[in-house]
Amino acid sequence: MGDLKCFHCHEPVLTGDRFTLQIDGTAQPFCCAGCQAVADTIIQNGLADYYRFRTESATKVAAMPAQLAAELENFDQPEVLADISRQQGELTELELSISGMSCAACAWLIEKQLKKQPQIASVTINSSTQRALLRWDSKALPLSQILSRIAALGYQASPFVADQEEQTFKQELNRYLKRLAVSGILTMQVMMLAFGLYFGEFTGIEKSHEGYLRWISLLLTLPVLLYAGKPFTVSAWRSIKARQMNMDVPVSLALWYTYLASSYATVFHTGEVYFESVCMFIFLLQLGKFFEYRARAQAREATSNLLKIMPVTATQLTDSGPQATSARRLQPGDRILVKAGETLPADGIVLEGQSSVDESMLTGEYRPISKMAGEQVLAGSINHDGLLTIQVTEVLAHSRLGQIIQLQQQTLSQKPKLVEKTDQLAKYFVERLLVIAVLTFGLWYFWWNPDRAFWVTLSVLVATCPCALSLATPTAITCALARLNRQGILIKNAQALEALPQITHIVLDKTGTLTEGKFSVESVEMLSTAYTEQQALNLIANLERYSEHPIARAFAPYQTAAEELQQVTVSVGAGISGYWQQHAVRVGSASFCQLSRTVSGAMVYLTINQQPIAAVTLSDRVRPEVPALLASLQQQGYQLGMLTGDSSSQAEQLASELQLNFMHKGCTPEQKVTHIQQLISEGKQVLMLGDGINDSPGFNAAHISVAVHSGADLSKNQADVVLLKPDVSLLAALLKGGKTTASVIRQNLGWSVGYNLIIIPLAVAGFVSPYIAVIGMSFSSLLVVSNSLRLLKK
Amino acid sequence: MSIIYVLIPIAIFFVAMGIWIFFWAVRSKQFEDLEKEGLSILFDEDNKPKPSADKDEP
Repeated sequence: MGDLKCFHCHEPVLTGDRFTLQIDGTAQPFCCAGCQAVADTIIQNGLADYYRFRTESATKVAAMPAQLAAELENFDQPEVLADISRQQGELTELELSISGMSCAACAWLIEKQLKKQPQIASVTINSSTQRALLRWDSKALPLSQILSRIAALGYQASPFVADQEEQTFKQELNRYLKRLAVSGILTMQVMMLAFGLYFGEFTGIEKSHEGYLRWISLLLTLPVLLYAGKPFTVSAWRSIKARQMNMDVPVSLALWYTYLASSYATVFHTGEVYFESVCMFIFLLQLGKFFEYRARAQAREATSNLLKIMPVTATQLTDSGPQATSARRLQPGDRILVKAGETLPADGIVLEGQSSVDESMLTGEYRPISKMAGEQVLAGSINHDGLLTIQVTEVLAHSRLGQIIQLQQQTLSQKPKLVEKTDQLAKYFVERLLVIAVLTFGLWYFWWNPDRAFWVTLSVLVATCPCALSLATPTAITCALARLNRQGILIKNAQALEALPQITHIVLDKTGTLTEGKFSVESVEMLSTAYTEQQALNLIANLERYSEHPIARAFAPYQTAAEELQQVTVSVGAGISGYWQQHAVRVGSASFCQLSRTVSGAMVYLTINQQPIAAVTLSDRVRPEVPALLASLQQQGYQLGMLTGDSSSQAEQLASELQLNFMHKGCTPEQKVTHIQQLISEGKQVLMLGDGINDSPGFNAAHISVAVHSGADLSKNQADVVLLKPDVSLLAALLKGGKTTASVIRQNLGWSVGYNLIIIPLAVAGFVSPYIAVIGMSFSSLLVVSNSLRLLKK
Repeated sequence: MSIIYVLIPIAIFFVAMGIWIFFWAVRSKQFEDLEKEGLSILFDEDNKPKPSADKDEP
């Protein structure tokens, strides 16, 4: 029975053959009623292909509580719907964020199922961003029915409102694609004509044919220069107006000078043409820019699904009773009702009720916090067990959650500093280059040979064209981003790559970063010999299945067999009681179990017929990969420290166990910042690894911030780097990647500057004919690009 | 070789068509998700419930 796997989610089946289904004539086992129901829906609808082609197993399906289903109906309110969708004629357009999708087959499954509805005009699902774009007739088919249809397949869909910035990102990315296509396709054509001209040089070509090929090249290059090369020209013009030279100035200068000189040669049948160089240069630069932009857009999409945590609906208490409304329309002073399991739609003060809420999204603290009348609650936190009546104090946009979201979005659009460094180099370079070009022209025109002045100046400009220099940093960064991304490290701020090799100190958060950030069973003390430890844990696990409390989840792995339970009741913040084989069983705190004698440190007790059976101690376990990672980092000479909000002795114990260099416990977010700033004022370079929103002020203070996989979405948004896999040892890979990138950039810059220093005197002296200059330029660009490509392989 | 006076303009016409088609593809969001469409060929358009002998999912 042990290795029997659920047909749907591939999790071990603990319930024997309680849930089975006939599929293709064979009885297949399922782990729970949820998975069985989903598989039944899939098979009934003739979508069994999903099981044949999926590449990942599905996520386990929990049966949807009826109360959540009722909550879906809130979305059918016209004013709520108007807030989250756009009306296009008869059709309504809406974006959905879908969780639980693991591979492309899931996208196919949902699309197929929804397209069966005649009222749905179109549905497109993007499996990489886990979003769906839906267009349907909202009058004929309410949204809640669509959502419950998706839920029947085992996925959770919630309406999603993409922010303005993301829309612009998308449009910009499309513009990059188009520019890339124009420059790429036309470069091929111009290159082909250039080959004709090259061979004409050697074997002889009719003057009329040569002129024709040049004219065609001139025409084909024009759209490349004007359309694909437009960003460079615009940026160069802007920087000249602002008197702040950047890399685009020499680039545009070289492009336009080369193009105009070639056009002159074409019109007057003299000299040489270099249209193919213009095209090639633009194409290569666009390619680099495109990949860099796409990496940033992906980083953005990966983290901006967090907006779905913004609550959409609220239950407002009006004079005529509770009424569903849109969360965005809540005003200070409104009274709202929040049921168990719901997300709080606004900041406010509790008027009535008692509950424990999960603020981990905002504070990183995973223990639930109990809230009573008069206490303040924050939008975005999740109400665990009680019913709360709340008076709204701030509208959603001004809530703590809204503020943090705004703040982190401002940090995203920063320009990478590494490229700025090249810009400084460019500024220095451009000024001297212009002086040299003018001097060369003057020298040749007035003293040496006026006829050659124009062409020698051209070869100076082409030979010194900062092609290689301008490709040196972006190509290296793009390749490094791509490679780290493949390893599961998402770099959101390319600036971080620059700072990585200088890091001396690494500051770590404890809860959720070094530890798993959730309760696990540490030890069990048996208070009675009537049951074995395994039996007791199994019974607790069966009872705890009825609760959504974080403590309950710690027991899930210990469920070895399903038990029949009757009259199960969950008491808020205390425990669970029920009947098992006609015995009254209770699981919960000592007071809930009515025990006089307690075991020190134990948090959960089990009693059967008032007899104490077991006391369980829960703790937050250290991640398995952490000791080896820290040891290897220390060997590499990094100073490691821990800043934790935890003030218990567990912090010291952990610090000495892991042999950390320094440790501060009981830190508020402000104190974390102070500690980091002090290190920085001592001239140290600090990297911070953390997970919660409480770490995010520290994230801003440190040179580089890294958020772990399980971290709160908001902290992932603030961090420079996000680890995409639940594996902290990726930090070592990140530091190594930073070092290799820095050395590749150094090599690239060294080569391109060195090459220019050698070629300038030769070009000024007139030894370099323009087409040798082109070969030199192309060769050094190719060298730089292929050097950067090495970063992809290792 | 005067044939190039005819052939090159024809080639340019096809290139222009190619670019126009690419622009259309970008506009109609065909580059949004490059993963799913690659797999879509595996799925049958019409799924009749038929007994199939092969099963590769464990």
